[in-house]
Amino acid sequence: MTTRSYLLKEGYDNLKKNASKTFSTMLIIFLTLLIVGIFIVIFQNVNHNIKEVREQQGLQAFIKDGIKESDIEYARSEILQIEGVKSVDYISKEASYQDALNVFGDQSYFLEGLEKVNPFPASFIVRFYNIEEANAIKEKIEKIDNIYNVQFNEGTINAVIIISRIANIFLISVGSVMLIVSMFIISNTIKLAVYSNKREIYIMRYIGATNSFIRKPFIYEGIIMGVVSSLTSFMTISIAYVVLYARLPKVGTSLGIFGFIPYSQLWYQVLIILLIIGLLIGMIGSALSLRKYLKV
Amino acid sequence: MKKEEKVSIRRNTTTSANDVSIFKNDSIIEFKNVTKDYNHEVVALNKVSFKIKKGEFIFLVGPSGSGKSTILKLLVREELATEGNVIVNGQDVANLKEKDVPFFRRKIGFVFQDFRLLYDRTVAENIIFALMVVGATEREIKMQLANVLELVGLTGKENYYPNQLSGGEQQRVALARALATKPSVLIADEPTGNLDPKTADEIFKMLVEINNRGTTILVVTHAKDTVDKLNKRVIALSAGRVISDEKGGYAGYDY
Repeated sequence: MTTRSYLLKEGYDNLKKNASKTFSTMLIIFLTLLIVGIFIVIFQNVNHNIKEVREQQGLQAFIKDGIKESDIEYARSEILQIEGVKSVDYISKEASYQDALNVFGDQSYFLEGLEKVNPFPASFIVRFYNIEEANAIKEKIEKIDNIYNVQFNEGTINAVIIISRIANIFLISVGSVMLIVSMFIISNTIKLAVYSNKREIYIMRYIGATNSFIRKPFIYEGIIMGVVSSLTSFMTISIAYVVLYARLPKVGTSLGIFGFIPYSQLWYQVLIILLIIGLLIGMIGSALSLRKYLKV
Repeated sequence: MKKEEKVSIRRNTTTSANDVSIFKNDSIIEFKNVTKDYNHEVVALNKVSFKIKKGEFIFLVGPSGSGKSTILKLLVREELATEGNVIVNGQDVANLKEKDVPFFRRKIGFVFQDFRLLYDRTVAENIIFALMVVGATEREIKMQLANVLELVGLTGKENYYPNQLSGGEQQRVALARALATKPSVLIADEPTGNLDPKTADEIFKMLVEINNRGTTILVVTHAKDTVDKLNKRVIALSAGRVISDEKGGYAGYDY
């Protein structure tokens, strides 16, 4: 038996001695980390979507019906010459119709029979380097022949950004309050453990235990509580996400406004961050109480 | 600058402490004019001086409040002397750095009146606990455990819990624990205070036996008869002063 495994066992024994206190402490840490985990999940999803929306964001320039193909080509080259334009994609009337069918999905029956008249116009999707230049580019495109309407969807971007800001502020503030609370609760639990081990500590001092030898079981106790809580909150979040994901719109398949990332792209971030935070709360929480209570 | 001065002072005193160990290396404990007061009011010890040689067996006697406990506290550096020097194993304890105190204490075994065992652990676990504290290897633990159990006559009882043992046996576990780490000095603070006379005799016999094997022993006790019978050196204290220090029984001193 090495010293470390001995001290680990001592820490584990402390946990068992105060089982009910240990349980309530872990519950609080669990809830804290749950909030942190949910934050990570939302944060990653929102950021992914903002990025996606930003990348997709462009102007849609509608082309008058019934013009020649050479005129369409000409209009395209005109747009490409505008400064700040990254790319121009042509969407034919047929493609627009197909898009509409996809968008409406199950409800697409009311588009039936419209194939022949096809009310959807052909258009150019114009992407540019800097979203700030959108308005200037829009004005220039409007002056080009055969283009009758230019639209862009800044509203979506702004909405996503605002929602994400609110969510982030809310989760960060609740999360940090919870983090501080759990640290104090851990430190309280450790204080109790120190108190109930006063005899041991006293005897250890007389035998000649170093401070680190006396402290380690309590630090390990904090770490075990932190790690166990982070693993359980990770599992809870994983299960919840996977279950919910099956019922929610997914990235790339939705209306293009908001979709969720598959968990396979997310789980390791959640796990690593929760583990690190769990470890830190455990260590800092127990160190906090030991500094006060284990003065020689 | 100040820091450097401090360091040099410390170095000087360490050297002098080393000198003590070189020239008087037969003394394992030395009190030189030690005074200890609490808040400049209660004087617990007043200019106490004595030397204990390696391998000696000493009784420390005196009424309650005469300063015996203070001497023990100074010895293990639980407290520091107000004046004078306490030298243990050639080292002035005042010069010990905080982080070296645990290592210093490992050379001193301690036995208490109330045993101070861990009641949720077996006999063996109590002893292993002490050995883990000093960082013994697995082999050393096995060897020392068997050694000390045999020494105190508890072989076969290693898996008992303290509550399943008599008072005398519990004190023997405490002895085994104190000896497991091979201290050069064993300090026993009224080791038989809670025991009946017959059991007390057994414990004293054991202490003598341990002393015969080379460990220096300092016993604080009120057991007058035993002190008389064993005929060892007795340091008697009263009101913080040494009032007699000679070989013999209770030294004709009564209180």
